[in-house]
Amino acid sequence: MQNENEIPTDHLTDQELFALAVPPAGALEPLPVHLSDCLQCCRSLADWKRALSEIGREDGELIAGRSAEEWRAAEDTTLAAIRRAGAPGDGRARTLRWALPAAAALALFAVLIAGRSTPAPEVFDDPSGLSAQDRADDALLRDVDRLASGEDATGGWSELSPDPVNPNATPAAEKKS
Amino acid sequence: MKPVAAALLLASVAAASAALPPPDLPEGKWWKRPRIAAEINLSGEQESRIESIFASARPVLIDRRAALEKAQGELHDALEDSDADRRAIGARIEAVERARAELQKSRILMVLDMKQVLRPEQWERLVRLQESVRRDRRERFGRFLDRRRERDGPR
Repeated sequence: MQNENEIPTDHLTDQELFALAVPPAGALEPLPVHLSDCLQCCRSLADWKRALSEIGREDGELIAGRSAEEWRAAEDTTLAAIRRAGAPGDGRARTLRWALPAAAALALFAVLIAGRSTPAPEVFDDPSGLSAQDRADDALLRDVDRLASGEDATGGWSELSPDPVNPNATPAAEKKS
Repeated sequence: MKPVAAALLLASVAAASAALPPPDLPEGKWWKRPRIAAEINLSGEQESRIESIFASARPVLIDRRAALEKAQGELHDALEDSDADRRAIGARIEAVERARAELQKSRILMVLDMKQVLRPEQWERLVRLQESVRRDRRERFGRFLDRRRERDGPR
């Protein structure tokens, strides 16, 4: 494990973290040795995986939660938007030409203001000021969060899913190598 | 406490943890991070009380994490075993989920105790902070995906 006084410097890039979080179908990425030494990169990888699962979960909930009426309403809205877009010279379309850039400018302004009042989220997660015991506790709490919420893929669940690209592959065996 | 009352209490905690999403707070030992403490105006006394709640929960969390990891290991081994039958694997799966529920229960009860230490506005601010972290993570991820799509085209 990582010595508290020896923090590796060659951290994984976004590209490498992405490849580990979302391995290409049919090709499991071997874990780099760096991950066993670098707490920061382990956390970054966990962050990427979590972001991915959040995106999937929230999008899935949004769609799965729609009632039949909402599906019809969404369909009507989409069709209406297509009809409007196909009608040149429409008064509403002319208004939108001005309203959309104005709304975009306002949204950008709001984002800039919000960005000034709240520090970047990464600074909240800086472990550099923690003592060795606090870091150990910190790791314990993160572990507990991950395990209790079922975000871990250990215990054989993920290994049971057949690889759609190569159904004869044995991912569990590959993962161990 | 009478056994029936204790069973009812346990059942209600289990039902609550199943029905509600667990509290979403900043990850790790957030009360030791100066920026978070400053953001929510955490006093020294509050920090000590939260640390004390965590210190009480720590042995239980360590034990239950170990129990879950042990159960996961046993399930993994059972799945690897070509002679294992469905009943044995079913029992292992139940053991994993029971261990996970125990761990989640300890975690949620610890967080609830911590919540009692904070004023409502501090709690709200803490939850909002975590939301901003999640949003930032998603945006960063989205930006990366956009850049990748522009460079490589759709996968």
